[in-house]
Amino acid sequence: MANIAEARIKREFKEVVKSEEVAKCHIKVELVNDTFTELRGEIAGPPDTPYEGGNFILEIKIPDTYPFNPPKVKFVTKIWHPNISSVTGAICLDILKDQWAAAMTLRTVLLSLQALLAAAEPDDPQDAVVAKQYKENPKIFQDTAKHWTHIFAGDSKVAMITHMLELKQIKKIAISHHS
Amino acid sequence: MSAAASSSQGGAEGGTHPPGEEDQGESSAYYECNICLDTAKDPVVSMCGHLFCWPCLHQWLETRPNRQMCPVCKAGIGKDKVVPIYGRGCTKSQDPREKLPPRPAGQRPEPENAGGVFPGFGFGDGGFHMSFGIGAFPFGMFASTFNLNDGRPGPPPPASPQHAEEQFLSKFFIWVAVLFIFWLLIA
Ligand SMILES: [Zn+2]
Ligand SMILES: [Zn+2]
Repeated sequence: MANIAEARIKREFKEVVKSEEVAKCHIKVELVNDTFTELRGEIAGPPDTPYEGGNFILEIKIPDTYPFNPPKVKFVTKIWHPNISSVTGAICLDILKDQWAAAMTLRTVLLSLQALLAAAEPDDPQDAVVAKQYKENPKIFQDTAKHWTHIFAGDSKVAMITHMLELKQIKKIAISHHS
Repeated sequence: MSAAASSSQGGAEGGTHPPGEEDQGESSAYYECNICLDTAKDPVVSMCGHLFCWPCLHQWLETRPNRQMCPVCKAGIGKDKVVPIYGRGCTKSQDPREKLPPRPAGQRPEPENAGGVFPGFGFGDGGFHMSFGIGAFPFGMFASTFNLNDGRPGPPPPASPQHAEEQFLSKFFIWVAVLFIFWLLIA
């Protein structure tokens, strides 16, 4: 990895860890390996959106040419959003492509992604099916997005309920086996 | 600027900082390159006022040759539109950058009220003859007539080094004139 990329990620890593958004649990970055080429990001779903209450994990890969070229970011957590592939997690966001600028940082990328969750751009979609639903059936879109958030993004209350239901089922199975 | 100049020497040793430098806090962040986030070495500033290392900015401009924009504010930017910054004592820490073109040279526009007073007589010859024009004759008004270069900075404000220099030169020429008259009288 190029010297400048590694040195910069180290600095940025500190910056994100110290930032007030982290203090408020809005964003988070973790190291995946010692060489700073891969990181794990996390953003909280913005309030008053179907993503509220969810935590979305991101895979961040730092190219050798960073910061002259953008980091490669995709959602690991499944999400229902017009600009994010519901299958692969690929993101359609201009700053991760041609609108990238070398002064942007991990922090600004994570905050931009959070802003994308709050304001989708259905006219520049990544997932055509989701974008169509977003435009034609906003209500169904909202419900689906909320449902996906609950199932995949670890909304704690719902996760607990589903977990308890699973436990009950296991118990039932165990009991039926026993008798 | 001395902070940037002194730590740029440390930064020139392969891009790593000496231990402890990172903990200097916000004051040194003022002179950090907007690309590598380290203290700027061979600093240049864009027209929009953003600071970069010249090697960093050069690489950014090379990466996107057809979209030359400021990495911070996305204003138009170019190799010929940046100004180098020379801190005190920065000359000795120059390391050879074979692959990079040299940092663009600073431009030296003439001060507005001293430019081109005597075309053909000391034009572009530095401050000597032009200051003579100001000190001895009220020729300052010709400056705007002969000045072809628009957008130059205005006359230096009082108390600036340039102003002081002009004051000194005008005094100097008054003495020259006095000596000249004296010589005429005794000759
Ligand atoms: Zn730099
Ligand atoms: Zn700028």
